[in-house]
Amino acid sequence: MGEGVNTVATGSTVESPMPAGRLRKLQTLGIFCGVVAGAWLGGAEAPIKMVNPDVSPITVSLIMVLGVFLARWSVPALVRGTSSVRYDVSQAPHLVVWAVLAGCMWAAANTLTIYAIRNVGLSIAFPLWNANSLLGIFWGFLLFNELHHAGWKRWVGVLGGAAAMFAGATLLAFASSSQAPPGKGMLGVIAALGAGVLWGTMYIPYRKAYLTGMNPLSFLTFFTVGELVTMIALAVGYKGATPLWQELMSARSMLFWLMLGGFVWVIGDLFQQYAAKYVGISRGIPLSNTNQLWGLLWGTLVFHELQGGNRIVHSQVIGGSVLMGLGALAIALSSASQREHSSWREAAEREGQRYGVEDGYVRAGMEGREFEGGRKRRTLIDCILIAGTTAVFIVLAAVARLPRMDMHLSWAAALAAAMLVLLASCGITLWRTTGFR
Amino acid sequence: MAKDETGSVESASLFRIIATDIHFWIPLLVFVAGLVLLHELR
Repeated sequence: MGEGVNTVATGSTVESPMPAGRLRKLQTLGIFCGVVAGAWLGGAEAPIKMVNPDVSPITVSLIMVLGVFLARWSVPALVRGTSSVRYDVSQAPHLVVWAVLAGCMWAAANTLTIYAIRNVGLSIAFPLWNANSLLGIFWGFLLFNELHHAGWKRWVGVLGGAAAMFAGATLLAFASSSQAPPGKGMLGVIAALGAGVLWGTMYIPYRKAYLTGMNPLSFLTFFTVGELVTMIALAVGYKGATPLWQELMSARSMLFWLMLGGFVWVIGDLFQQYAAKYVGISRGIPLSNTNQLWGLLWGTLVFHELQGGNRIVHSQVIGGSVLMGLGALAIALSSASQREHSSWREAAEREGQRYGVEDGYVRAGMEGREFEGGRKRRTLIDCILIAGTTAVFIVLAAVARLPRMDMHLSWAAALAAAMLVLLASCGITLWRTTGFR
Repeated sequence: MAKDETGSVESASLFRIIATDIHFWIPLLVFVAGLVLLHELR
């Protein structure tokens, strides 16, 4: 077991700086989490491609959120146990409200992305809603002291990196503009931009929670309540209960793929949360937005999206991908200094004082260490949650059908294997460094 | 933040503090705007 897992933080103030070695280790970990988040968030769009376009976007979003809900209760139960969640809530109960609000925003944004994909295609919609990272940098700077005292080199690294990623994303959008269905382009663009604003602002509750010391796994369990309630309200309100039920029943052979998409998304989102926690939203969110590169890999290699494109299209794809990669690298090399981190601690102290959270808990959370009494045993409830979720997926897989599509299955297997390798290596590092704190 | 004898936070106090936190209103307003946009796109 690695550093930090057995160490109990009992500090009583947030003023004293974190040891430089520990800070460096957490920053590297946060960057790694951001990269893995990109892979899994990008991969989550693949199962949606396998769904019949006759199913309405609201229903697609609801089914995905059902998968997300199951994942967001079973994964924390598996990793740390629900007792740890209860303990976190007792330390910072106000964060339940923030988590539910963030979940409501996620559900609305996710529904908008489905309208966007339907109207302008994945390749154009992706870069538009990924502009959320620019909004994340803005909120991080304005509200949470991120990039304060960072020095011009880090500013150039983060802003230049985000700008390069945005330029790369735009190139990729141009490359695939011929894929867009005609007619409803503007609606799709508005939907994608709306999703970007919702997700970019959703990072305010994220950062609020992690500055105060909450564990991402605990935050997510309440986040998903907001998601599910919002999606059910949207679906029932827009379609009516009976038509919705009939559509769910008629789409039962696709339920597995959509819920799988939701499950994969949760894994990506979990790593995004750890990235937001350890490197802040100004760096963590742009890094996880490399999901567009993964979306492109799935689209071109598995679903033959850009087949038949001319040399200009291929140049745009290569140029856009290189720009995105360079942007992510610039951000990864601009991790927070001790001085900037002291500004984060000031923001954390402000939050702790406002909501009456113990200093030691806040400090332990920032340092990725266990606070006294935080480690709990798993209970019977955890076993029921894990077994129940597994059973649901097995039943849905049994009635699922692989749609007739022109897919390259060996590429799909290779990309899935790469994602699993990233998941295992980052998960082990996260466990050894913080014990999933 | 006010806590009762068992150390638990009083709900009324909790919601008052959240309601006076400007950070809360920014995401809430964006969420409402998102719902309006969804309604228009429907």
